[in-house]
Amino acid sequence: MNTLKTKEITTYKYERPAIDRGYANQTLCVDLSQSSIAIKPVSEEMKRVFVGGKGFDLWLLWNAVNPQTRWDDPENAICIASGPMGGTPSYPGSGKSIVSTISPTTGSVMDSNVGGYFGPYLKFSGFDALEVTGKSGGNTVLLIDGVDQMVQLLEISGLPEDSYSMSSRLTDHFSAGKNQTISVVSTGPGAEHTLIGCLNFTWYDVKRKRARYKQAGRGGIGTVFFHKGIRAIVARWDSVTMDTNNPADKGALTTVAKAYSKEIRDLDPKQNEMAKLGTTHLVPIMNDFDLLPTHNFRFGRHPGANNIGRDVFQHLFDPGYDGCWKGCTVACSHGVKDFVPMTGPYKGRKVFVDGPEYETIAGCGSNIGVFDPYTIVEMNFYCDTYGLDTISVGTGIAFVMECFEMGLITTSHTGGMELSFGNRLNALELVHQMASGKGFGAVVGQGIRRMKDIFEKEYGADAALMKDIGMESKGLEFSEYMTKESLAQQGGYGIALKGPQHDEAWLIFLDMVHNYMPTFEQKAEALHWFPMFRTWFGLCGLCKLPWNDIVPEDNKETPEPAKVMKHVQWYADYFSAVTGRKVLPDDLIKMSEAVYNFQRIFNLKMGYGKREHDTLPYRAMGPVTALEYESRRERYDKQLVEKQGADITGKDTLEKMAILRRFREKQYEELKDAVYERRGWDKDGIPSVETVKRLGIDFPEVLDLLKANGVSS
Amino acid sequence: MIRVGDKRFPWHEGMTVSILLEGLRDSDSYAVVRLNGRIVSRPNFAATPVPDESEVILIPMVAGG
Repeated sequence: MNTLKTKEITTYKYERPAIDRGYANQTLCVDLSQSSIAIKPVSEEMKRVFVGGKGFDLWLLWNAVNPQTRWDDPENAICIASGPMGGTPSYPGSGKSIVSTISPTTGSVMDSNVGGYFGPYLKFSGFDALEVTGKSGGNTVLLIDGVDQMVQLLEISGLPEDSYSMSSRLTDHFSAGKNQTISVVSTGPGAEHTLIGCLNFTWYDVKRKRARYKQAGRGGIGTVFFHKGIRAIVARWDSVTMDTNNPADKGALTTVAKAYSKEIRDLDPKQNEMAKLGTTHLVPIMNDFDLLPTHNFRFGRHPGANNIGRDVFQHLFDPGYDGCWKGCTVACSHGVKDFVPMTGPYKGRKVFVDGPEYETIAGCGSNIGVFDPYTIVEMNFYCDTYGLDTISVGTGIAFVMECFEMGLITTSHTGGMELSFGNRLNALELVHQMASGKGFGAVVGQGIRRMKDIFEKEYGADAALMKDIGMESKGLEFSEYMTKESLAQQGGYGIALKGPQHDEAWLIFLDMVHNYMPTFEQKAEALHWFPMFRTWFGLCGLCKLPWNDIVPEDNKETPEPAKVMKHVQWYADYFSAVTGRKVLPDDLIKMSEAVYNFQRIFNLKMGYGKREHDTLPYRAMGPVTALEYESRRERYDKQLVEKQGADITGKDTLEKMAILRRFREKQYEELKDAVYERRGWDKDGIPSVETVKRLGIDFPEVLDLLKANGVSS
Repeated sequence: MIRVGDKRFPWHEGMTVSILLEGLRDSDSYAVVRLNGRIVSRPNFAATPVPDESEVILIPMVAGG
């Protein structure tokens, strides 16, 4: 093991403020180019309009960048924040951080939420948010030490290259024997050589005596981090109690936290068994409903799915408490102990693998035709270790495999690798190549949008076909749900601010399975309420899972069971108890609406954020190939006749596909109209002046931007 | 007899998950049940027999994500 050599660059001593009702009331700004460290105050208006978490991130980022800023420009900021409720122990899911930056794959605002201890430790150290700008020469580590009340920029040589080893080395290095006082944010060589790098955020597992981590995966935030020349950010904080966040009404907080924790403890074993299985329970269910992405989203079902679902992973997961924040009773962050990789630098050595979760299983499993759980675990391990987003890796390789099977690319492009669906060893080899920046993996690591361009211009591949099957929107790879039969979820992906990630809206079951929203207006209403409520978690430092993955036993008796209003009321009570700002459930939606619309306008500032950017590849709406149509011919034929009133007599498959496509593409455009109207946006998807005034985000810069885009009162 | 949550229901020969749910209120709310520890989804309700003395847990609306 290398010895770490530490050289101090800058030390900034500060007096840690007392946390006041969930806020530190200041943010930390670090400019790596200048080696400067500064503290900015948080105003009451900033709290009122932006609340915290992603709201604070966006405001800091908005002020850091200009419309010409690219992801690798020094002024691009990486912002990390918790939120007013972040760091509350015992209220389930209260340890989240939100990370935001200008993305290398989308060119616009990216946000990604992540568990682990960092966000709460950052806040308790005295900072509601962290803003890192500039660039350093490399090997820089930022230490935020709330115990000794100092922030340091350090140059540390001898650090391991990868995030798996670096997380534990830095935990040991800074902990002074109390490893649970440390949280490390880091990435690995995959972030250096690709545009889809992720960040790992650690927490310390006392029982297993190891640093474990969760990922801020989406949109290449890890890539931005690496190219700033920073190797890690470390937060140090001591013990956490219900008093640490200094809630306005501790009694009320204790009451609601106890009720919520108890409900989850009582009901999770009867419902989805998250504490035992994590999100792996979704695999067989998605498969049964034809929703599990298989072979690059061509199909939603495969006979091998049971090999990679809950029944297998309940035996592979190491039993024990797996909460990524203290006291969380959902505790879904499971892992595989003593796994021995068959490839790569850890080949033959026992490692601990954090995961896999549903997204990784579907992305690095079914979607690339791999139904071997051990390969998925190994893909998971190396993606995390190298700092790669498992979703973009999985969806990216799925695209490559379909291109290979269609003959759009050949072994002459792949360095001799056969990349048919199911080729698990070559899928793993691609991951190793992404980390080294060598071979065809270096091309795959550019993400689907750039791959399409390379395949067309350099390999002569069919651009129109790749546009249909390349599962990206806004430059971000799709997360792992089939949307062909759910128009509402097509909107949930296509209109999402950062690109097709399901954290804004997951409406497939409500729409497709339960048919609760048959009209455009009902879909639009759902595409208003659900994204707004889900956004709210990211403002407050919270995890979404406890809200609706465990529901009250009498939930179905309520007027709107999908919203789980008993829990929404508890969240309003929770917010009121911590901040002292008395709110009702509707107020939570209003808080989110302001931040949500501000992010839409931020996209506009960066040259995006219009109707033309809310597009989907046709694969997300319907069958691109005759093979797909024929595999579900009865369903499609029936829809053509019954829903569209089409006469399909004597028509061949290609003719029927063309009719279906016209219908579905038209439906999607009509859905956009309905959603824009519900959200108070114009036909081009831009918030109106009236909307920004109503939401209190009518800052002069916002109004100027709207005016420049033809929107005025 | 079979048990559904904390309630007991009479069992009969040929009972499937579909038949069982038809006799319950709000059966449309359920897309997934756990039958003796095994997950059964709606597309398989009609083809899945419910043995006597079974324990059935109704899984609320799947939330995803």
